[in-house]
Amino acid sequence: MVIKIAFVIFLGLAGGLAVGSGFVAFLTVLGIIPRLTQLTKTMKMIVWYQWAVVLGALIGGFASLRDPALYLSSFILIPLGAAGGVFVGMMAAALTEVLNVFPILAKRIGLEEKIVILMMAFVFGKIFGSLYQWIYYVAD
Amino acid sequence: MKEIVVTHTKLYEEINVWGVKVMEETIYIRMRHSVQTRPQETVYLKDLAQIIADENILTALKNLPIHKVSDEDNNIIVIDVMKVIERITRELHSIEVQTIGPSQTIVEVIYKKKGVSIPFFILIWCLLFLGSALAIMYFHEDVSMQQTQQRIYAIITGKVEKKPLLFQVPYSIGLGVGMVLFFNHVFRKRLNDEPSPLEVEMFNYQQDLDRYVSLTENKESMKRIDGH
Repeated sequence: MVIKIAFVIFLGLAGGLAVGSGFVAFLTVLGIIPRLTQLTKTMKMIVWYQWAVVLGALIGGFASLRDPALYLSSFILIPLGAAGGVFVGMMAAALTEVLNVFPILAKRIGLEEKIVILMMAFVFGKIFGSLYQWIYYVAD
Repeated sequence: MKEIVVTHTKLYEEINVWGVKVMEETIYIRMRHSVQTRPQETVYLKDLAQIIADENILTALKNLPIHKVSDEDNNIIVIDVMKVIERITRELHSIEVQTIGPSQTIVEVIYKKKGVSIPFFILIWCLLFLGSALAIMYFHEDVSMQQTQQRIYAIITGKVEKKPLLFQVPYSIGLGVGMVLFFNHVFRKRLNDEPSPLEVEMFNYQQDLDRYVSLTENKESMKRIDGH
């Protein structure tokens, strides 16, 4: 029995370790945090950003495992949703950048000057696709 | 004994002459990284390189024709610094050429200023727009975004909501804001003047292309057994 419990604890720890380090590795490859510090010129605070990510992951993990209910005003969801959207948007942008999509595309069709307009197609496409999905696509 | 003296004086003279010549006729050239030209035009040394030389030969050097663009040339010609030195020494004898910087220049022949056709552009734009819209929907389905957002709604408010639009609409707008933030372009307006990752990425891509071209298009840079 003790061995069983000890093994389960060990297994959980090992799984958490793998997922956590994978998450951090993914964030590092995409370079979102350096990008944000570069935009806001807050390089010195980068340690705190690191803890923000760790804390966020911990709270997210707790919330998804324990299902707490906070009974707060639903308007808190607006900033939460916006923040989540910005984060996912930055991840999507970083991912297309890692894959070299824009430079190759712009070069192929000879539109190096209008690359911003092409990028806007991506941006509006994402917003439109997302809104369409939540408002019409998903079943009631 | 006499012979040795003669050689000595000769040697002395030669060094002296050589030394004077070095002082007077060393020219420095630095090949440009890449230049553009039009078909049937002649590329002169002043187009290909920056030159430092004595006043009396500078004009001649500047207008030294290096390459005439012909129809056989494709749109990219690589001119090696060896070819340039050969041309200079053929024209102006006993000159010392010091080269600094890149050892070749990529000459891009611009055939026609190609205008972007508007229907084609609109087609591509719609393709990207719809493709990106579908891609984000696939992503949301893949990671079960809907269920997760329903649960977040339940955690915060304590109520169950099938369509937590209060969360989802800001999320969708934030998605676009995040992408724009990452690329540092708010419809061409800058948030600050550092280059955006996209510009850096374009630059790196161009550098890779140039490096490839300068090695493969330059016949002298590689020798193959099969007589390539």
